[in-house]
Amino acid sequence: MQRTPLALLNLIHDRKKFLTSMAGVAFAVLLMFLFTGFKNALYDSQTQLLEKLNGEIVIINRLKENMFVPRAFARRRLYQAQAFDGVDGAYALYISDARWKNPDTRKSRPVRVIAYNPSEPVLAIPEVLAREQDLKLPNTAMIDSRSRAELGPLETGIITELADREIRIVGTFSLGTDFASGNGNLIMSDQNFLRFFANRGPEEEERSFATVDIGLLRVAPSANIDSLVQALSEGLPKDVLVLPMDGPTGFIARERTYWEVNTTIGFIFSLLTTMGFVVGIILVYQILYTDVADHWSEYATLKAIGYNNAYLFGVVIQEAIILSVLGFIPGLLISALFYNLGAGVTGLLFKMTLERIANIYILTLVMCLISGAVAVRKVQHTDPAEVFGL
Amino acid sequence: MSSVPRSTASSSPPAAAEASIQVRDLNYFFGRGDLRKQVLYTISLDLYPGQIVIMTGPSGSGKTTLLTLIGALRSAQEGSLRVLGQELVGLGNRQLVEIRRNIGFIFQAHNLFESLTAAQNVEMAVELTGNFRGKRKQAVDILGQVGLAERADYKPAQLSGGQKQRVAIARALVNQPQLILADEPTAALDKQSGRDVVTLMQHLAQERGCTILMVTHDNRILDVADRIINLVDGRLESDESPQQFVDSHTPKALDQKMFLM
Repeated sequence: MQRTPLALLNLIHDRKKFLTSMAGVAFAVLLMFLFTGFKNALYDSQTQLLEKLNGEIVIINRLKENMFVPRAFARRRLYQAQAFDGVDGAYALYISDARWKNPDTRKSRPVRVIAYNPSEPVLAIPEVLAREQDLKLPNTAMIDSRSRAELGPLETGIITELADREIRIVGTFSLGTDFASGNGNLIMSDQNFLRFFANRGPEEEERSFATVDIGLLRVAPSANIDSLVQALSEGLPKDVLVLPMDGPTGFIARERTYWEVNTTIGFIFSLLTTMGFVVGIILVYQILYTDVADHWSEYATLKAIGYNNAYLFGVVIQEAIILSVLGFIPGLLISALFYNLGAGVTGLLFKMTLERIANIYILTLVMCLISGAVAVRKVQHTDPAEVFGL
Repeated sequence: MSSVPRSTASSSPPAAAEASIQVRDLNYFFGRGDLRKQVLYTISLDLYPGQIVIMTGPSGSGKTTLLTLIGALRSAQEGSLRVLGQELVGLGNRQLVEIRRNIGFIFQAHNLFESLTAAQNVEMAVELTGNFRGKRKQAVDILGQVGLAERADYKPAQLSGGQKQRVAIARALVNQPQLILADEPTAALDKQSGRDVVTLMQHLAQERGCTILMVTHDNRILDVADRIINLVDGRLESDESPQQFVDSHTPKALDQKMFLM
């Protein structure tokens, strides 16, 4: 037999009140999930294309600070890199912006075009790999099914205009948008890229195979990536930057850090998350304080018959912890729903990782504990002598 | 519940018994500095095991203050106050909490947790003794003694006022305290329930030889007392048997029938 679970019984005694309390905590949890979710979605989305790049080492123009900067580098650097020991393959990725005409509304919208030789495994997207032959046909491309609705229908067989030239969609893939992608992404072969971008009007930048936006290096399994990066950095001319793909100093981390450090996204959404946290504290405080106030004479009686402050503190803190758990679960489920919804509408990447769930739970727990610690003072200051003569 | 024949009213101590409460020249003040106000004046009093003592007096006479001092709910300031062999004057808060565990408290309101069953409410008191294994049995036993064996698993909302007060009494008695302090235990009850409650207390006092100190204005229950103490303006005005009390007070003011045994 154990101690009577007074905290739990007090909390669930009044079903209606208990459900309201749970809803309150769940609401605070939802707010925190949403705001951190938006923040992470904006950051995560910036790297979702980079995560699909199939290579261990990246070569870019030294001035390409982030994916938004349209700086290319000379393709011969890739050939130079290929000569290094341990480099198995070097692939070129071309990126350009172009106007896409919505086939329904006839309105033009900017999209990002990603191009490479379809025979080379540059992008690890299964749908694209399966359509290799179709991509090799002239004036074809595949479209990102998670592009924004402004682009019109995103289906195979659509015929419309890209950069004032007819284009036929031969398939779709799933990637998602980011700050640099405009309204969506197109993937085409390098040959088609040349068709679309080699002879553009006088005001547009012309593209050729002479310059590459992102160079990818496949590394032999036996080679050490870090020392190879070191060797390439020293061996290649200084107009390019050589980065490992992964790791804390890698290409993906660099892109993410750029958006984290150079934009106010983090500040704004952290502020909103803090507000959710504060709203939670106030809600939970109200719940716990009401419980304490409603049971004031009972708690005072417990003190009178010989329970000490530590016990009463324990009861209120237990209530806080129980609330944090029972409110978190529905909050998490509703948030997961909203994440799906948000991803569908915005094309941004809403990821709910275990680490993020754990972080929000810790926030929820701290929130409940703070409220509990404030509410408990009412019981602690209770003078048991006052129970007499009530 | 049948009424139990009352032992002879007497304020004289049973031979060789040690007083469970010994008060000597107790003064008590509220407030500090200029606002300091004396509420108890040189109270001296001995209460013995097996006695039921009723404390009466007009409101503001200090009887609740005296009760809370004896119950270790306030720190005594001046004089001497020995409860169950322990001097309370000069004790710290923590030690007072320890003392309180040996005292049974019964309040005007039952103060039961609505979320707990009758048995669980009583078990809360048993848990103070650290007896977790036998708490259920102890609680059910004592509820049986107050006539609520069948209601052990009912919540307070399902019990009548008298039954709730009996649960509260069971909670006060379950640890077999040598001293029971009661504050208007019958005030919220109808005549029959009130009578049942005091008869029960009387019964238990005799069976276990514990001291019961009760503050009450309820004239209907004065007959269960062995002694009646009258407090007026913080001074002990009289200390007598119920019969003397009845005689010394204007007969018209009290319903004589209440004291017919």
